[in-house]
Amino acid sequence: MTEIKNAHFTTLKGAYDTETMEATLRIRRYDPDTGKARFDQFTVTVPVTASVLDALDAIKDTRDGTLAYRKSCRMAVCGSCGMRIDGGAALACKTPMKKFVDAGHTITVSPMGNLPVIKDLVVDMAPFWEKIRAVKPYLDTRDEEVPDKEWRVSPEHGDLIHKESLCILCGCCVSECNSMESDPDFLGPAALAKAYRFVGDARDTDTRERLRDLNGAHGIWDCTRCYFCNQRCPKGVDPRDAIAKLGAESFKEGFVRDEGARHAKVFVDSTYKGGYLRETELVPKTIGPVNAIKDIPFALQLARAGKVPNPLSPHKAKDNDEVKRLWKLLEKEAKGAERPRAQHPDAVREG
Amino acid sequence: MQERYAYYPGCLASLSQKELDSSTRAIAQKLDIELVEMPSVTCCGAGDIHEAKPDYYLHISARILGQAEQMGCDTILTICNVCTLNLRQANKALQEDAALLNRINDNLKEVGAATYQGGVDVRHLLWEVSEGNGYDAFKSVAVKSLEGLKVAPFYGCQILRPSKILGFENPDQPQSLERLIQACGAEPIDYPAKVKCCGFPIVLAREDVALGELVQPLEQAVAAGADVIVTPCPLCHLSLDAWQRKAADFSGQELGIPILHLAQLLGAAAGIEESELKFKRHVTRLSPEVKAKLQMPSVVGTEA
Repeated sequence: MTEIKNAHFTTLKGAYDTETMEATLRIRRYDPDTGKARFDQFTVTVPVTASVLDALDAIKDTRDGTLAYRKSCRMAVCGSCGMRIDGGAALACKTPMKKFVDAGHTITVSPMGNLPVIKDLVVDMAPFWEKIRAVKPYLDTRDEEVPDKEWRVSPEHGDLIHKESLCILCGCCVSECNSMESDPDFLGPAALAKAYRFVGDARDTDTRERLRDLNGAHGIWDCTRCYFCNQRCPKGVDPRDAIAKLGAESFKEGFVRDEGARHAKVFVDSTYKGGYLRETELVPKTIGPVNAIKDIPFALQLARAGKVPNPLSPHKAKDNDEVKRLWKLLEKEAKGAERPRAQHPDAVREG
Repeated sequence: MQERYAYYPGCLASLSQKELDSSTRAIAQKLDIELVEMPSVTCCGAGDIHEAKPDYYLHISARILGQAEQMGCDTILTICNVCTLNLRQANKALQEDAALLNRINDNLKEVGAATYQGGVDVRHLLWEVSEGNGYDAFKSVAVKSLEGLKVAPFYGCQILRPSKILGFENPDQPQSLERLIQACGAEPIDYPAKVKCCGFPIVLAREDVALGELVQPLEQAVAAGADVIVTPCPLCHLSLDAWQRKAADFSGQELGIPILHLAQLLGAAAGIEESELKFKRHVTRLSPEVKAKLQMPSVVGTEA
């Protein structure tokens, strides 16, 4: 088997003169002409330093030239080679092959989830880009005159959106998004992280309009907090945390009418009132009294199992006055705080 | 095993899911674990306060962690995924940012609350009993074999991901529940959705989206022939159990699979009585056959 000519590896061997290993990959193939899917298994000789992408290149160069996948930079910057490795989305170029070879493990490579497959490992990114476009991924400073010098953003203000700015739009976060699987129209982690990148930008003046749009159906309150996005992101963007920041910005701007926001508010109010969550207030205050009445048969099922606490004697933690005082103190502090704003360059021209 | 923990049952186990609190106390006693009460704590915020008022969330978390510290406990024991993630996430932020911790402590001092020095760890019951001394201790009290019981483990999200905050085991191939199911003499059933979301955080605000998530573990566990599903999280439990009939309507197929809290499964294997495990507080009732496999003596005797 090792006699098979491996052009790709020959090149690498010439360049690095490195040790080699035998890598085995099981790859999901999909042929759009026949509409049929199958798994192919390949074993190739690659340098011990090879990534999964290097192994795919070796397969394509020496075994099967029809294997389709995306790639470009080979260094975790372009975001092209997102794919599922053993079911979890990752960048093929950033995933070393050696740990699998050492463990004697045959990896399964398949296309990312939540996006239509075009061929083999290539997915159609059109729905992904559509959602990115929907959050207006550009700076809007229309309320300000166009300056003739550059904006000044302080390092502190820059830090507010640093993590979200690291996104390379690879789609790994979207691949396993549980809410998007259930609601394909959910904007999803990548677009929402991008949305926060502009909501949190000290130069942007479109904050309220952005937040209003994000508070409707398929917006931030669709997120089920499964944290697959944070787990999968190869760049540390933590999209779920960006979604939470959008929630906090929505509260600051008074967007509290979405059921998701009303749900969150009950938790805040419960700690203030008594300590633990007031479960009996959660349903009517989230979905409204009319819908709550429609749900009475369901509530009775729960009540029969003893799952509805007595609303007339709610839980009261000891010393909860501390929490009340804390809440008042923080609300006073928050009232005085101003939204971070970049200095218009004209304003500091003389300085 | 003579461990001492600050016990943080959280809202659900204290209110609608009291059977979890009762089963936990019973198994803790068997394991010689001392649970120190925390009478002045608030809700952890469940991700909701983190999302709505992040600064307030950090303050109430510091207050909870500080109370454990004042009680002389270096570990808070949780029995809920959501409490585990929320407390650990705040703890990490406070431990890694001295300026933040100082500002929060100044505020806590001002309102007369416990301050926090950063010396507390937050651990879920699952982690404490699935390896090391805790596992050995459980093996020694698991006197009743649940042989013949097929158990589908359902981990839920916030005990696995994000692993940089939780980090107990591989979030894609966890094994802690399987290990404990085997220690009970039962058979673990494998299915893909065991690490996915139950939909509970959005079941009120976005019911259809949530049900689309919830049906996956239920359908798969039933198809794989499981007798019961076991979960370490009372929110997952409520979703899988109480919302199961809605999930069945959504799915268009009969489900009818009982859901156990982790502490109930451990309790059954340790010979704890049904009066403490309180299965009757479940919406999806246990059949006599399942009760028999759980070694509940009532089916052998008088109860119909």
